[in-house]
Amino acid sequence: MADELTGCDADAGVMAIIDVTGITKSYAGRQALADVSITVHAGEIFGVMGPNGAGKTTLVEIIEGLRAPDAGSVRVLGMDPRSDRRRLNESLGVQLQNTQLPENLKVWESLSLYASFYRAPADWENVMETWGLTSLRGKRIGKLSGGQRQRLFIALALVGNPTLVVLDELTTGLDPSARRETLSLVRRVRDGGVTVVLISHFMDEIEALCDRVVVLDEGRVVAIDTPAALAQRVGERTLDEAFEKLTGRLLEP
Amino acid sequence: MSTSATAQLTLVESKLLSREPGALFTFVIPLFILIVFGGSLGRGDATLLPMTLAISVALVALYLMPTTLATYREKGILRRLSTTPVRPASILAVQLVLQFAVAVLSCGLLIAVATVALGASAEVNAIVLIGVYALGTLSMFAVGLVIAAVAPNGRAANGIGVLLYFPLAYLAGLMLPVALMPTTVVRIGEFTPLGAFRQALQGVWSGESPELLPLCVMAAYAVVLSLVAAKLFRWE
Repeated sequence: MADELTGCDADAGVMAIIDVTGITKSYAGRQALADVSITVHAGEIFGVMGPNGAGKTTLVEIIEGLRAPDAGSVRVLGMDPRSDRRRLNESLGVQLQNTQLPENLKVWESLSLYASFYRAPADWENVMETWGLTSLRGKRIGKLSGGQRQRLFIALALVGNPTLVVLDELTTGLDPSARRETLSLVRRVRDGGVTVVLISHFMDEIEALCDRVVVLDEGRVVAIDTPAALAQRVGERTLDEAFEKLTGRLLEP
Repeated sequence: MSTSATAQLTLVESKLLSREPGALFTFVIPLFILIVFGGSLGRGDATLLPMTLAISVALVALYLMPTTLATYREKGILRRLSTTPVRPASILAVQLVLQFAVAVLSCGLLIAVATVALGASAEVNAIVLIGVYALGTLSMFAVGLVIAAVAPNGRAANGIGVLLYFPLAYLAGLMLPVALMPTTVVRIGEFTPLGAFRQALQGVWSGESPELLPLCVMAAYAVVLSLVAAKLFRWE
């Protein structure tokens, strides 16, 4: 068990939560990822950004063990996401894009059900309270607003008491005030000691939240750095302008 | 998967099934047919009850079960589940058990009503009945699993179910009593899973010893189609 968490990064001396080395993935001849390497450290919020089709979702699906890379190696919490899938899932919380839950399922039922899947879950009633869902506990998922549903999906990602959470486009469909609230909650998650991988195409979100960010374009890593250093490196003041310079296009359509 | 997760999953999926209007129809439709037509038949009739039992199993196997499973895949529910320590296969297993329970409940209700109110014979060989019922349900569920495997979404599964239900029910002698059907059609029907099921059930209520052919037909469909479904099934 001891070597479960020993993917040590020699330079930083900090534990590597995710260690991806040289992964490649193509679908039907189209290259989705080409020689991508990233390291995510314990306790950071790591951003993954890039235009549509840059390979963001493919990268996180490989980290989650939903897909296998064609080549390269992936270690998450010291485990192989494919062969140690069930064991890794005990410590990994996931919020996926384009997934739903049965419409007739009630909020409290979904939380209590998902908590039962894990060996050492969080107290689901606490999670429900934290994410402002207690007043909605008896509501059916089909009747929730976009923002309420998104909050529930994040709560479900956390109900297993994970070490690492992967949040894919979590503020999509939220109004500005719900977005701000969600961002501060993500910070709270990190402050609770959970490492966060955040996939986003909102520049302000990345800038406000992420300790480090990887910029992907056409399946390749364009840069990995802190948002501020990234902007500075290409002589721009904002991440927005830096992104445009790095990839030759705008992030937000 | 831990016992508590299995228990929770079973509980939650039963609640969801009870909130599904489709589940209610599988009880109401065959019961309605039994009561409406049963009143005009003499007491001791041995054809109507087997027909309604076959209809109830067909409704669960061709509509309710494949639609539920295809919707779970379409909406990413299986995919979301596969990111937890629970195997997505467990939700399929729980669903199949619950769908089977729905079919059994509906069957119990039909037999009770037919025996008490319509004077159907209560002198049936219970062991033969259970064997025939299990085999018939397995073969029809195998058809449903193939639908769930090939349908891209819940609506398509529902559509395929409708398209298959009518010809299968006609060939099985569930639209018209077999006595009023052309012999060739009846003969063809004996080689369909639903037709073999109806025929075997009818044997149970007319007190004959079970024939081998319908049992073999059902077993063959159950085995072959389950393998086909397992081969074709996609998690996403």
